[in-house]
Parts: sequence; structure tokens; C-alpha cells
Amino acid sequence: MIEQLVYLMPLIVVLIGALALMFQSMYDKYKIKDFIIVATFFLLIADGFAIYHFGDLFTTKPFNDIFNNVIIFDTFANFFNIALISGALLIVLIGEHYAQEQSYFKGEFYSILLFSLFGMMMLAHANELITAYIGLEIASFSVYIMVGFNTEDSKRVEAVFKYLVLGSFIGAFFLLGTVLIYGATGTTNISEIATFINSNYVEDLSLIYIGITMILFTFLFKIAAFPFQAWVLDVYRGAPILITAYMASVFKIAIFSFFLRAFLQDFISLNTFWENALIILTIFTLALGTWLAITQNIVKRMLAGSSIVHTGYLMLGLIALGENMASAYSIMFYLVAYLLSALGAFGLVSHVIADTKVRVTYDDFRGLGQERPYLAAMMTIFMFSLAGIPSTIGFIAKFYVFTEAINAGYAYLAVGAIIATAISIYYYFKLIAKMYFYPSHAENLQDKQDVGRVSTYTIGFVALLVVWGGIGSAIVFFIPIPSIDGILSVVELSVRSLFLN
Amino acid sequence: MGSADILSFIIFLPAIVAFILMISTTKVEDVRNIAFITTMIILVLVMKIYLNFEPKAEMQFVTNIPWITKYGINYNIGVDGFSLTILMLIAILIPTSFLMLWEGRTKGYWINMLLVQTGVTGTLLSLDIILFYFFWETMLLPIFLIIGIFGSGNKVFSTIKVTIYTMAGSLFMFVAILYLGVAYYNEYGVWSFQYSDLTTLSLMSYDEKFWLFLAFVTAFAIKIPLFPFHTWITGTYSDAPTGGVFLLSSIMAKLGIYAVVRFMIPIFPDIYIQFSSWFVFIGIFGLIYFGIAALMQDDIKKMFAYSSASHLSLIAAGIFSLNAYGVNGALYLVIAHAIATGGLFLLVGLLHDETGFKTIKDLGGIAKKAPIFTFMFAIMLFSNVGLPSTNGFVSELLIIFGIYEFNHVMGYISGITVLIAASFMLWLFQRAILQERVGAQLQMRDLKIKEIVGLVPWVVLIFLMGIYPDPFIDKFEPTVTHFLNDILRIDEILKSGVVK
Repeated sequence: MIEQLVYLMPLIVVLIGALALMFQSMYDKYKIKDFIIVATFFLLIADGFAIYHFGDLFTTKPFNDIFNNVIIFDTFANFFNIALISGALLIVLIGEHYAQEQSYFKGEFYSILLFSLFGMMMLAHANELITAYIGLEIASFSVYIMVGFNTEDSKRVEAVFKYLVLGSFIGAFFLLGTVLIYGATGTTNISEIATFINSNYVEDLSLIYIGITMILFTFLFKIAAFPFQAWVLDVYRGAPILITAYMASVFKIAIFSFFLRAFLQDFISLNTFWENALIILTIFTLALGTWLAITQNIVKRMLAGSSIVHTGYLMLGLIALGENMASAYSIMFYLVAYLLSALGAFGLVSHVIADTKVRVTYDDFRGLGQERPYLAAMMTIFMFSLAGIPSTIGFIAKFYVFTEAINAGYAYLAVGAIIATAISIYYYFKLIAKMYFYPSHAENLQDKQDVGRVSTYTIGFVALLVVWGGIGSAIVFFIPIPSIDGILSVVELSVRSLFLN
Repeated sequence: MGSADILSFIIFLPAIVAFILMISTTKVEDVRNIAFITTMIILVLVMKIYLNFEPKAEMQFVTNIPWITKYGINYNIGVDGFSLTILMLIAILIPTSFLMLWEGRTKGYWINMLLVQTGVTGTLLSLDIILFYFFWETMLLPIFLIIGIFGSGNKVFSTIKVTIYTMAGSLFMFVAILYLGVAYYNEYGVWSFQYSDLTTLSLMSYDEKFWLFLAFVTAFAIKIPLFPFHTWITGTYSDAPTGGVFLLSSIMAKLGIYAVVRFMIPIFPDIYIQFSSWFVFIGIFGLIYFGIAALMQDDIKKMFAYSSASHLSLIAAGIFSLNAYGVNGALYLVIAHAIATGGLFLLVGLLHDETGFKTIKDLGGIAKKAPIFTFMFAIMLFSNVGLPSTNGFVSELLIIFGIYEFNHVMGYISGITVLIAASFMLWLFQRAILQERVGAQLQMRDLKIKEIVGLVPWVVLIFLMGIYPDPFIDKFEPTVTHFLNDILRIDEILKSGVVK
């Protein structure tokens, strides 16, 4: 009983935290800082409970008589729990400076953030399609609200409305797909669908095929793959930058947590059905994302565009999944790597916005290397990592994804992806060039260079993680730290837990 | 520290020192002094290795530690005769170039110079191909910063251009490396990216090997640069600061050559032999093409850039000539050219800093003002054009022998072209340095004691290697023989008549 409760604790703590923050925000006397402290407190506890099971191989369905098989707790979900909670925690901490500088931030923001996190964690634990839908919608609706949080920005109405209408519309596809699958199999439980698919011939599966296609639409929309990417730039632009970072990294992980489970357990045997379509979509996603990223002048939009390119790399891993189960590890590793690099980059941009109150185009970064050498150095690390330059975690992640893709026989797709990478060097290095190769704007040579903030320390910590992930313990073998092998074995363990019993 | 870790120490000492300097608030002079001492410590250690090295073909001082065990990637470093020679070269060149660059640099400059040393040494000593790629890419980053921050002219454009150019090439090589790893996995059932393991691959089809070969050759040809991947050199060499040009021309270009020999010969021996005549042709063509291009330049830096490319094409032709003369000569020219070009670029950098001109028509009358400078310049130039009794002569002669043996006509052509190259370099010397300048005399100081001390070892090496080459060739000859006889099996192939 107690043991089963421990499994549920991360979810419960996040939910309690969200409610507590909601009540707290009814009082005017609390400042943003207090909300940050409370949110951090609950997230840390939740993370602690999740990390408690770190490294164990388990799969369990606690309180099964109540939940009736819809929620599963295994190493796989736990891995994503840790990633999601840590991601949210980093968002809260990195955004500390930004949130305090912007007048529109209110305490409710953190309550909603935790609610969305709750939805995402439910998504990771969902073992059943309807439950997944509920989790997805809890997360999505919270994000809709947060996208519109910036009352000072006229673009927010467009952003919220676009995302809300399109997101709800595409959510309906998920339900439709669920209905069709239920019609064919008589169940919405993932493991039971798998049994049905494996015991029937291909002719009987046409309803399932249509159902999968519908669900795939939702998936592609949420990860912003071609041809469902049209909302990304506007929504990312209109949202407060912390939410942009949250959507690009944490939300994407949550989406993958459920769909990876569904693919691996259920639909993997049907991969030939969606393989070709996915290949074409991947190529277009890479091409379009590259084009969007390269044409932007505002750094935030460039990062938004580049997030589409990274989606393309993840889809490459997804395609390889059909031939090569090890590709799942590479996807999960890539998600973690992208989480760190993107959070760092977005967070740093938010920090610069908070200080200078400008839109932050490329030109606003001019001379940052002279003004704030540490911030510039960290930004350089994040850009390297996003571009996949060795000695950062982004390189290792690309190495895994490409190796597994080639191993699955998609060498030509890997070449396509590497072309996108080569172009990406241009828009990432352009930022570095702006920071170091130009003199700074004379007027805003800072008087208030308060480096010692929580947000800068957090960004520095993330930068350190990025470098550590890329170097590991072998190259600097004289420093005794855990190696990147560790992450990989945890990832492997997670995927194994899907196939227990 | 056991003798096994000495190579790791050599690789990482500059980087560690650089990071410490980065976060400390030391004065520029102290930063420079510490950087110089660091490179001197490395020089001493490399000397120690050089003396303890047994002239055999196998790897020595090997360190092998698992890095990413799932994919069989190891931190695997070691040195053989071939890499040792270049290691020694780098260890000598870098501290002495510091002496030439002594005054007027900033802290970032020195830190980046140190980081470059880690990158190039790591590239040179890696025996795991992922580790090699790791260093190969990272050594470009400090260069990126050096050119971009300290360059002149249209520096941002040049920097971005050279970065994208080389990185795009490397990325295709990256895919090829991964493909090799996967091929190894499919053949043996375990992952490995070890250099020695990849050479045992045998199941790949001809087409696969051909494309992989192409991917590798593109990456290395951009770095060297070979025709037609040379378009980045003029802008970069002309806009980069002296230190950057020095590193690019005399060290990084050589690593491209090194990588061709180290990775392409053992991994793709049959493709290598099959396409060797193409590459000898490209090499000879580059020799002529870049020679003519150099003749047209008025900017000294651009002219040396082209002349350097011309020599590197000759080196490439030697590497692909499939016989001991050519390959030994090419490796010898790698050293000779690194010294001569490095010296010339450093001296031209000085000339530019002092007079403010780098175009031939604006210069002149230097010899009277700065006799020691002129003397050093002349020696470097003579070595560069391959005057007898300098090391350039020995190496060019060997390469021309090698090419002659490969194909008589190409041998004649390369011989004549080298002569022509000599003439225009001397013509430059006459116009820019010796001849009286029209108009007012230029302000030019002579070399300082520090700079002379820095250049003397190079001058000694130039003549020592030119007059008595045996001890130097002995260090790397076993490796070359091993490559040619055991890996390429040249004798059997020549007998069987596959290659004419």
C-alpha cells in the first residue's frame, strides 16, 4: 500500500503543488519570488520521489482496482518523469530573473505551469488512449493559457487563438482515431491493442490503420512536424519566452513519452504502413525548419525554427525504430540533450531580454562577449550543442541518432539530415559571430551587471551539464565523475521495462 | 604520471592551462608568459618521447580507456613514427611562433592559441576515429574565434565562410565514419570505432567504399586544400591575423595530409590504389593552377596562400604516388613546408604590422632597413622553393622521383613546375624586399633578439634536414614501408598488373 503510494508520489506532489500555488495566488502580499520558492520546493520533492526509483527496473500498476489498468508506472515513465520535472524546475529557476522583471507575470503562472506538468506526467504514465487524451488536454489547455500570458504583447491574441483553435481541432483527430481503434479491437488499452494486432492478419486491420493515421496527425501537430508546423513561429513568437522554451523542450518530451510507448508496444509491427509517409515528412520537416531558421532575424524565432529541425532529427530516429529497436534509446537521449541545450539557449535569451528590454534580434547580441564574457561563453556552449559540435552533449545525441538511423538502413536520410546540420552551423554560428566579432553598443554598456542571480547560476549549471554530457569521464579520466555511459544505460533500462511480463 | 599517460598530458595540458587563465584575471603579459612556458613544457616532453621512441611501425605509448562502451568508443591514443614526426614539428613550431607574436596581443589570443594546440595534438594522436573527429572539429573553434575577433578586413564573412566550408566537409565525413562503424557492427556483431578494427573490414561493397572514400577525401581536401575545394583560402589567409594564418597553413593543412595517410590508406586500400592516378593528376594540376594564381597576386599574404596551396598539392601528389620515394618525400615536405611557410607567414605578419602594407607594389627597400629580417626571410624562402642544401630540396626531389616512377610524363611536368614556382618566389623577394622603394622609405624595425632566438631552431632544422636527412626519415620510414608493403601490397599489385 505504502509502496504503491510512493510510485504515485511525484504525480501527487505536483498536483498538490499546483493547488497550493493556486491558493497562494489569491493573496496579494506574495511576490513572484515567493511563488518561485514554493514551486521549486514542490518540484524538488517530486523530483526526489522520481529519482528514488532511478536505476531500478520495474513495471507496476498501483491501485489497479481503482485505476483499472489505465495508469502504469515503469522505468520508462519514471525516466520521463525525471526529465519533465527537471525541465519544469529549470524553467522556473532560469526564468527567475525574467519573471521578476516583467510586470505581467503573476503567481497563477506557476500554478498553471504545475498543472500542465501534471498533465504531461499523466501522459507519460498513460497506458490507455483516453487517459492519454485527458493528460494531453490538461497539458495543452494549461499551455494555451500560458501562451497568452503576456498582456503587453499585441501578438499574443493571434498566438493564443491560433494555437487554441488548431490544437483543439487536432485533438479531435486523436479522439476519432481512438474511437476507430476501439471499434476494431474493442479496447483502448495499449497492451491489449498490441495483443490484438499481433494475433490478426493484415486484412482485418484497416480500421486500425485509419485510427493510427488520425493519432499520428495529433502527434505530428504537437511536435510541430511538417505539414503541421504552420502554428509554430507565430505561437512561439507571441508566447513569453519561458513558455516558448517550455513548449519546445519539455512539452515535446511529454509528447514523445506517450507516443514512443504506443509505437514501441503497439504499432511497431505496422511500421511499413507509415514508414514511407514519415520519410517524406521528415525530409520536408528538415528542409522547412532549416529555411525558417535561416531567414529569421529575431533570435527567439530562429530558435523556434531550429526546434523544427531538431524535430526532424527525432523523426529520423522514429523511422529507424521500425528496423532497429535501439533507435528508441537514441531518441530518448536526444530529447534529454535537446532539453538541456534549448533550455539553456532560450533561458539565456530571456535573461538578456530581462536586462535590456529589447526584442533581441541578432544585432542585440553584438558585443556581448566583451560586456558579459560569462554569459557569452555559455551561449556559445549552447549554440555548439544545438549545432552538434563535439565536446557538447548535442554531438553525442546526434551521433546516437545518426548511427542508429544508418544501422537501420537509412543512410541516405542521415545524409539529408547532415545537410540540414551543415546549414544549421550558419545560423548558430552567426550568433556567436555577433557576440564576439563586433564591438558592443556604446550606450548600453551595462551599469547593473548583477551576475550573481539564481537564473545565471542555473544557466551556468546547465552549460556545465551540456559540456559534461559531451565529454564524459573518459576524455578527462583523471577527474572521477560518472560517465555518459550512465545516461545511456538508464535509457536502455527504461525501454526494457516496457517489455517486462 | 606513468609513461603511458604522457601523451594525455601533452594533449590536455594546454587546454587546462587555457581554462585556468580564462577564469583568472591575470595580466596579458603573465598570460603570455604562462602560455609560453606551457608550450615549452610540452616541447620538453615531446623531446623525451622522440628520444625514447623505437623506430618501428607499431603504435607506442598507447592509452586505451572506454568512453562510450555501448558503441565501443574508446579514448585511445598512441603514437607511431609518422605521427611522432608531426608531433615533434608542432611542439617546436608553436612555442617559437609565440616568440614571433610576442608583443601586442590580447589575453583571448593566447588562450585560443593554447586551445588550438590541444585540438591539433589530439587529432594527431587519436586512434579511435570518433575521438579523431572529436578533436578534428574542436580544433576549428579556437581558429574560428582567432580569425573572427583578431582578423582584419572582411573578417566576419571570411570566418563564417571557412567555418561552414570545413564543417560541411567534416559532417559528410562524420556520416561516413558512422557508416563504417555500422558496417563493422554488421560484420562482427560488436560496435567498434577503433582505427585498428576498422582496417579489418572486408564485407563492404565497392559502391559503399567508393562513396565513403569520397566523403573522407572531401573533408580532408577542404582542409588541405586541394583543387577545387580551395576557394576559402584567399579570403581567410588575407583577413586572418598572423597567428591564425600560421596555424592554418603550417599546422592544420598538414593534419589533412596526415589524416589521408592515417585513415584512408588502411581503411580503403583498394579504392586508394584505383584512384591514385586521379589524385596525382589533381595534385599536379593544383601545383600548376595555384602556381599561376600565386603569380597573379599583389597581396603577399594571398600570394603565399596560393603558393602554400601549390606545395600542398605537390604533397598530395606524392602521397598518392604509391611508392616509397613519393610518400617519404611528401612526409618530408610536410615538415619542410610547415617550417618554411610558418616562418614566412610570421615574417610577413611582422612586415605588415610594422609598415602597414602587405601588397608587393607598396613595399621595397626592406633589406637596408632590416638586414637580419631579410636574411631570415631569404632562408625561409629558399627552403620554400627547394634550393639545394635546404630541406625543401630533399623533399621536392624525392616527390618528383616518386611521381616520375608513377608516371613519367607527370614526373617531367612536376619537375618543370617546381622550377617555375621557384622563380616567381625569388621575383617576389626581389621586388618586395631588396629593390629600392619608389617614394618615401618605409619604417621598418629589424628583428629583436627574442624573435631571432625563436627563428634560429627553424633555420638550423632547415639546413640540418637539408644536408643530413637520414635520422629524420628513419623515424617515419618504417611506418611508410609498413603502409605500402603490408597494407597496400604495392609489389603484388604491380606484378599482377592492375595498375600500370
